[in-house]
Amino acid sequence: MVNITIDGQCIETEAGKTILQVAKENGIQIPTLCYHKDLSPTGNCRMCVVEVKGGRFLQAACVTQVWEGMEISTVSERVMKDRKLTLEFMLANHPLDCLTCDVGGECELQDLAYDYRVEVPSWGAKGTRYPVDSDPNPFVRVDFNKCILCRRCVQACAEIQVRDVWGVAKRGFEEQIVAGAGTTMLEARCESCGQCVAYCPTGALSNKMNYGTARAHQVKKVTTTCSYCGVGCQFDLLVKNDKVIGVSSNPDAPVNGMALCVKGRYGYDYIHHHDRLLKPRVRRYLLEGVKKERTGSPWDWVETEWDTALDIVAKKFKETRDATGADTLGFLTSAKCLNEENYLMNKLARQVIGTNNIDHCARL
Amino acid sequence: MTNKTQIYKPISPEIEELAREHHQDREAALELLKDIQTRHAGLSSAAITDAARALRLPPHQLYGMATFYSMLSLEERRKVLRVCDGPVCWLKRASKPRRRAKGTATSAVSSDQLIGEWTEAMPEYTVERTSCLGLCDRAPAILVEDEQAGPVFAKDAEKVCEGWRGVPTDYSKERKGELRVMTALIGKIDPDSLAEALEHGVYDGLKKALQTQPGAVLDLVESSGLQGRGGAGFPVGRKWKFVANEKRTPRYIVCNADESEPLIFKDRVLIDTNPHQLLEGLLIAGFACGASEAWIYIRGEYEYQAQRLENAIRQAESQNLLGENILGSGFSFKIHIHRGAGAYICGEETALIESLEGKRGEPRLRPPFPPTYGFRGQPTAVNNVESFCAVPHIVRNGADWWRNLTKAAAPGTKVYMVLGHVKNPGLFEAPFGLTLRQIIDDFGGGMLPGSQFNFALCGGAAGTIVNESLLDTPIDFASAQKGISLGAGSFLVCDQNVSPVAFLRELLHFFAAESCGKCTPCRVGTWRALEILNRMAEGKGMKDDTEELATLADLLHDSSFCGLGQAVPIPMRSALAHFGAEFVKAEVS
Repeated sequence: MVNITIDGQCIETEAGKTILQVAKENGIQIPTLCYHKDLSPTGNCRMCVVEVKGGRFLQAACVTQVWEGMEISTVSERVMKDRKLTLEFMLANHPLDCLTCDVGGECELQDLAYDYRVEVPSWGAKGTRYPVDSDPNPFVRVDFNKCILCRRCVQACAEIQVRDVWGVAKRGFEEQIVAGAGTTMLEARCESCGQCVAYCPTGALSNKMNYGTARAHQVKKVTTTCSYCGVGCQFDLLVKNDKVIGVSSNPDAPVNGMALCVKGRYGYDYIHHHDRLLKPRVRRYLLEGVKKERTGSPWDWVETEWDTALDIVAKKFKETRDATGADTLGFLTSAKCLNEENYLMNKLARQVIGTNNIDHCARL
Repeated sequence: MTNKTQIYKPISPEIEELAREHHQDREAALELLKDIQTRHAGLSSAAITDAARALRLPPHQLYGMATFYSMLSLEERRKVLRVCDGPVCWLKRASKPRRRAKGTATSAVSSDQLIGEWTEAMPEYTVERTSCLGLCDRAPAILVEDEQAGPVFAKDAEKVCEGWRGVPTDYSKERKGELRVMTALIGKIDPDSLAEALEHGVYDGLKKALQTQPGAVLDLVESSGLQGRGGAGFPVGRKWKFVANEKRTPRYIVCNADESEPLIFKDRVLIDTNPHQLLEGLLIAGFACGASEAWIYIRGEYEYQAQRLENAIRQAESQNLLGENILGSGFSFKIHIHRGAGAYICGEETALIESLEGKRGEPRLRPPFPPTYGFRGQPTAVNNVESFCAVPHIVRNGADWWRNLTKAAAPGTKVYMVLGHVKNPGLFEAPFGLTLRQIIDDFGGGMLPGSQFNFALCGGAAGTIVNESLLDTPIDFASAQKGISLGAGSFLVCDQNVSPVAFLRELLHFFAAESCGKCTPCRVGTWRALEILNRMAEGKGMKDDTEELATLADLLHDSSFCGLGQAVPIPMRSALAHFGAEFVKAEVS
């Protein structure tokens, strides 16, 4: 254990923790941009600098470990001045289009600019350096004019998705984020999971599918579990006017945290799709109990109720089993089902029907 | 830019073969990229991707490197001519038009003019600007492909095409007042002859060390008080003890020969005149720290010197001074040469290690420091060329000898460089504690006729800019407190015709070009400071520019990630302190 002081508050804490961790545990706010709890801290952005008594330089709270007797100021004049100027530097090369920006309201840069009352300097590149929506992939909208080079996307891709699509190219003022060897994202083996979008603190990476449909305060977030597979990832559906317009990561999701796959994050457009089946359908000849005919009106699909549909299936199973034996039937279950549902399917096959012909799509 | 489906394509057999030559070693990524560039005159995106696949690395990592190091290029180039854009060469080139323009050095040539001039003179070359080439004693300097040349002006292009490379500086004659230890054999031996080196006692220190215990060597180096010669002056013995005390093995020795700071060229001269002295220093370090491998990270622009070292290594291996069971002592040691590819930041020890591991040369978080977590995550001693060169002499003659060499507070000798408007610019070795006046008058031969001392840049590009008030302050590692820094030991003296504003612009031009871009203050701060200084130097300064420079200096100092950004304010602040009035004058045109 070590004893430290933060802004005059005496704190006893474990050695090995960073200043940022200790501050957070004790309700002391330190602003961050490149830091994210899921990613290894890098100390790139210099927003979280604090003054440590006796130190020549300011220290980045996200990467500096506490030591016995450390006296920290998180709000000294020097600290506030430097943070403000660092923010100015970011804004100098950032377009001033918060009015129309998709992430307005949930942009970490915008929030900090507000907190620190930063005026946008008159100099700088002001977001005119790179083409907007520069990558042709269907999911991620890329606008590097808004990039503050925090590198969270690079880390999310490398550390969470372990796909290593994003990297850093060039140096100094010219530095930029790049996919692969200066290629498109898909050419750089991107699997469109959108983790980079979820971790981007600004509007540099946003979602293409719902671009321009709503901003954070205009949507209701409904936490749900993904129906695509049995992993049980949770996320928030973004609902506007009773319609699902998108998906966003829910940091508190117990199974997956911020991570999602391409289906979970971008496969939501089936919800309101006009082709979506909302009721079971059966062939007309089955419904009407007439002779099977593979042409014309008897072969048409007809909407019906669940009970009717299931009765038809049960009847067919029974007939087949009685006529040709239980082993002429086979059951294939799905990874989209829950464990419990798969268990029940197993019971149905073995006990109700009486066959061991059961398999699962995940084994194929 | 297309979105088409990815179709599997095998790696180009040529690149696969090249990767095999490097044993598909990820640490050889930089070498592989260089090889591909040599064959194809440039690095295409497809070639970089293939190279990455061959090394089983993500393509962005190699692309990041290809766009990071200045000697690599995505564009196809013809033969490459690199024109030094450093402050010393700037001063040299400015000298003629400067005198004509009656008192303004701002009439100096810009980078673009420079490229234009040389492109016109040598049209068969692709001309590029480059930060300081480390040929300050041969300024203005250029690099014709790998070949160092200077002093040359664009008007000499015809001769350069015929193979003329200017005149190398001869340091065989001692200046009055010199005390030569590390430079003692300059001109006395053929640097490419091991026999001559042995005759003059090189490797005697190693032989002596091998007869003692590593601990004794560590104690000896520590008690000698030898301080690191890269600029920070950290005690060498203490650093080695950190490494030796680490339980984990293997431990590594790394020699920092990435001498990329403007004004500094001592390491080049030390390697050029006595390469075996450096190898001996590395061997002793390896023996003392319990390491069996060392890397010399040498800047890519020093191809001559890298080859000289490779030759020296071969010679030493042939005499069992390197390799297995050296001289029957049971101690085995290997030395590798690793060439950089143009990046000043790689002189920062953690960035150097990153580069050595085949990555972009970006600094790491510290702590952990290299002695605990260095190359490949193992305990590593990183020292400057000059530090290693001093070690054999200490081992041979003892710590007391080293301490008693001079009466100065700091023990031993230092290799100095004096440049600019002095009669005899160049390199010399002398005790610590010299004053700037001594350096100019006693060693530099005094100011040039017609030149009066105006200011000097002391230490290196990241050193202090001083006026005449500090001419008589003794200089050592501690004198930076008093406003005059020793740094790596270089002093650029400027006369009354050089404007401090224009001069500081040149320094920021360098820092902005060499900032790695990792942290916000340095990435944007150096760029912004350069923008302001550009307009001030052109006589188009604006109100409050001086104040903004001071604010930028504060931020760079306080908040930058590594030593590069933290050091940029040193020349900025000292220039503002001594020449504030000139800066204020430059605010309004």
